[in-house]
Amino acid sequence: MHNEKEYNNPDNWLDEALKSEPGFHLSSDFAERVAKQAVRRFAWNQYFREFLIYLAAFLGIVVLSAGMSFIWLSANWKEWLQFVTDNFALVAGLNFLGVFILFADRVLLRYFFYKFSNQSVV
Amino acid sequence: MNDAELVQHVSNGNESAFRFLIAKHQRLVLHVVGRVVQQQADAEDVCQEVFMKVFRKIDRFRGDSKLSTWIATIAYNTSISYVRKQGRHRELSYDEEPLLVNLEKEQVFSHKTVEKEEAKKYLLQLIEKLPVNYRTVLTLYHLEEFSYKEIEEITGMPEGTVKSYLSRARKILKEKLEAVIETEKTNIFVDYA
Repeated sequence: MHNEKEYNNPDNWLDEALKSEPGFHLSSDFAERVAKQAVRRFAWNQYFREFLIYLAAFLGIVVLSAGMSFIWLSANWKEWLQFVTDNFALVAGLNFLGVFILFADRVLLRYFFYKFSNQSVV
Repeated sequence: MNDAELVQHVSNGNESAFRFLIAKHQRLVLHVVGRVVQQQADAEDVCQEVFMKVFRKIDRFRGDSKLSTWIATIAYNTSISYVRKQGRHRELSYDEEPLLVNLEKEQVFSHKTVEKEEAKKYLLQLIEKLPVNYRTVLTLYHLEEFSYKEIEEITGMPEGTVKSYLSRARKILKEKLEAVIETEKTNIFVDYA
């Protein structure tokens, strides 16, 4: 009799229902998939940050050298500007190529090596 | 491995450590997200977004609270933003009173006497019909066993509000259940009359 009362007690049922899992589920490889994706993104961000640091350092050196040339070597900035405007395509192309090579070396190649090495391990 | 060590490994980009962290907390995140979002199809996407945020922000975890509390906070905020983006603003109102619709009892109770499993199923359906803040607080307190203080930290609701939601939700659910049990008992006599 006591057991039956316990069994039919709404409080017990309520406690049990409140501790029951809601009917949602995740795919079985969820942890694996998300961890892989997050770490891959982490690697990409890391490589990209390094690329930006290299680029900033390179630009810093260029700006510093130009500044020193103007101050100590009395370079004529009008001549430089004339050179750049006359050979704009060449200057822009060389700059683009330089930045692309740096990007490919610091980010793309490393990222693809990382990605493929991970795939081959799997 | 304790929380501090785990966080250290994850912030260094260690994949196995992060996989371990996900496996350890995915149940908690799923419960919080599921109870707020309420759609299986979206729950996995939101859970994924939660863990991506955890990974991105792990450096900001200072260890002032438990790692699970910190992750639950991210899960709760991400789910709320998701619901907001879906245009379900009305569901997020804190003033919302729990107006439970009457579920079709015939669908739930197939026997004359109320079976324990059926009552549980009915209660689970009732919980899903509660407003989002009630559902969240019930899940965090009963299912995940967080303290009032931790729930306050996760949801940003004052401790008094958390307690009030818990007791009101419990009272409503109990009343609904008792009403159904009573109806079922009466029906037996009606059937035999």
